[in-house]
Amino acid sequence: MEFGWSDEDLAYRRELRAFLAAELPDDWAELSKDGPGSEAQARFSRDFAARLAARGWLTQHWPREYGGSDASPWRHAILSEEMWSRGEPRGPQYMNVNWIGPAIMKFGTEEQKRLHLERISRGDALWCQGFSEPEAGSDLAALRTLAIRDGDQYVVNGGKIWTSYANHAEFCFLLVRTDPDSKRHRGISVLLMPMDTPGVEIREIPAVVGERYFHEVFLTDARVPVSCRLGPEHEGWSVVTYALQYERVGSPRYARAALTLDQLAELARSQGVLDDAGVQEKLGQARALCEAARALTYRVIDQRARNQPPTADSNVARVAGTMADRAVAELALELFGPESLEYGTFGDAQFRMAMTAGVAVGATEIQLNLIATRFLGLPRA
Amino acid sequence: MDFELNDDQRAILEAVETLLEQRAGAARAVALASKGDYDAELEAALANAGFTDMALSEETGLLEAALVVEAVARAGGLAAIGAAALVAPHCAGRALPGPIALASAGERGPVRFGAHARTLLVAAADEARAVRVQPGDAETVASNFGYPMGRVRTDGGESLGAGSGARLRSAWRLALAAEATGTMRSALHITVEYLKQRRQFGHPIGSFQAVQHRLAECAVLVEGSRWLTYEAAWRGATAEASATAAAYALAAAHRVFSETHQLSGSIGFTREHDLHVFSMRLQALRLELDGVGGHQRALTRSRWTTA
Repeated sequence: MEFGWSDEDLAYRRELRAFLAAELPDDWAELSKDGPGSEAQARFSRDFAARLAARGWLTQHWPREYGGSDASPWRHAILSEEMWSRGEPRGPQYMNVNWIGPAIMKFGTEEQKRLHLERISRGDALWCQGFSEPEAGSDLAALRTLAIRDGDQYVVNGGKIWTSYANHAEFCFLLVRTDPDSKRHRGISVLLMPMDTPGVEIREIPAVVGERYFHEVFLTDARVPVSCRLGPEHEGWSVVTYALQYERVGSPRYARAALTLDQLAELARSQGVLDDAGVQEKLGQARALCEAARALTYRVIDQRARNQPPTADSNVARVAGTMADRAVAELALELFGPESLEYGTFGDAQFRMAMTAGVAVGATEIQLNLIATRFLGLPRA
Repeated sequence: MDFELNDDQRAILEAVETLLEQRAGAARAVALASKGDYDAELEAALANAGFTDMALSEETGLLEAALVVEAVARAGGLAAIGAAALVAPHCAGRALPGPIALASAGERGPVRFGAHARTLLVAAADEARAVRVQPGDAETVASNFGYPMGRVRTDGGESLGAGSGARLRSAWRLALAAEATGTMRSALHITVEYLKQRRQFGHPIGSFQAVQHRLAECAVLVEGSRWLTYEAAWRGATAEASATAAAYALAAAHRVFSETHQLSGSIGFTREHDLHVFSMRLQALRLELDGVGGHQRALTRSRWTTA
């Protein structure tokens, strides 16, 4: 066991922080107040991700043959922590580099690799994730969007919901049912669908948690070439399972929460209440939750770095991350008081981010189901 | 970063687990507790095999010692191994005559192992003091909380030097986190195994989601405690890392106590079921050294204040 960073890793983090200090504009706090899906931040990401790419950092964890440098999952984790804790200046592009790219490397045709990988690694590709449907949320395998083969095209009908970034995305990593008689996990395929395909309509869903956060995507006789299918027909579930191995713990929410907490402690100091026992206890409690989430996440990264298959340790880390995010958000409201009621303030921003923590990328209840059966070995209901 | 035990650590853990299988366990803890006894044999066996010297040896350190302390707690061992293996070495830099009890200066309440201790380590503001005690010096206190207790006098003794008080508190927090982790692991394990078997409404209780989610949250808290403990030990029981582990683990202890008892139903209140051996101890651990609030305040002070 070893809980320290190598000198190289420490130097890399310092370099990244210096880079962020230099590259993020003075009005970054304002610009990023609506989250990675906002107009401003998505636009900013094209420029920013390209600059990361120029440093060789955007897709450093990719294999060399696809323009990466085979960097360790740890180095990529450091990047993710620094990005997410500063409000994710990569915008939606973190998805591309984290798991869409690797899925294309594994299952893509030569044409798909040529079309997508170079563009993703250049920092100039906005994607969205077409998973959830109105009737298929936590129960993803209940998805109904149909893609019926018609010659060398699929005719797609159905709809996706809660689709972040759909308004900017050029491509959608779309899950469809290609076998209309199939049930559950069989008969699903993945389409790399261009978002300018006729028959694709987007409606923004006004959201409490931030501007341009959610969308509904309507698919009406959208014709997608068969050449856009990723992986074998009807075998999309295994493609998704593979892709999500790269996204075992999600965004490092604990890193942002921990940074917010440091700022809260500074605020408490400036208000003269840092010596107050009650304030100290709440800060300490929240800090311990952030640290546990970090340690549990690192354990999963360690498993990734060893090329071990995913385990329920990932679900443990996610639940811990949600606990940390919420504790810090609640404390932010308490310490700032009514100040946080103003939109875009520090407390408000943390609170909005934390609101989605237990739902985004897999509801906490699903994580708990998996911990109960896979980690504790309890019988299925 | 490396989250796996190395070969030596694995060998140490296997060896201590083998010893504990023979010399500890819930049944032995129940028998000892019924007479208010201390497990001097277990302490001697662990000491003779070198398990209490991990923190002082060249080849091993606090992390190996923490693994031992956690394992002893997991096995329900009724000996002051946290104090012997972690606290005394870190605070005094040497082994002290055991059993060792820990107390804050001026402590009026019962102290774990207080009536059996030969050394009392006292945390004063700046310094720690090692007080030699004789059998009969302390008053035995009857307790339902899983450990033999005694009321001690905290005056006198040999000063361990400036700054030793802070070292004592940090190592004490690390030991508490390690003991709570091992104790919680067993309490949760016993509960999970019972709820796999116990059937109501035609199904194992453990298959109901309302039950599963609460156990799963406990599992998250136990895992968090475990890794924060290992990290604090690896970091050499720094004030911040130890307070982090203790703040998390002792808060978790309360939750794990409540959930394991609630979900076990009436059997959990009996001495015929092993849960109480571990669960009741969690409450005793939770109250030491100013409790969860104390650990949280210590964490905040070490991280954000310069005082």
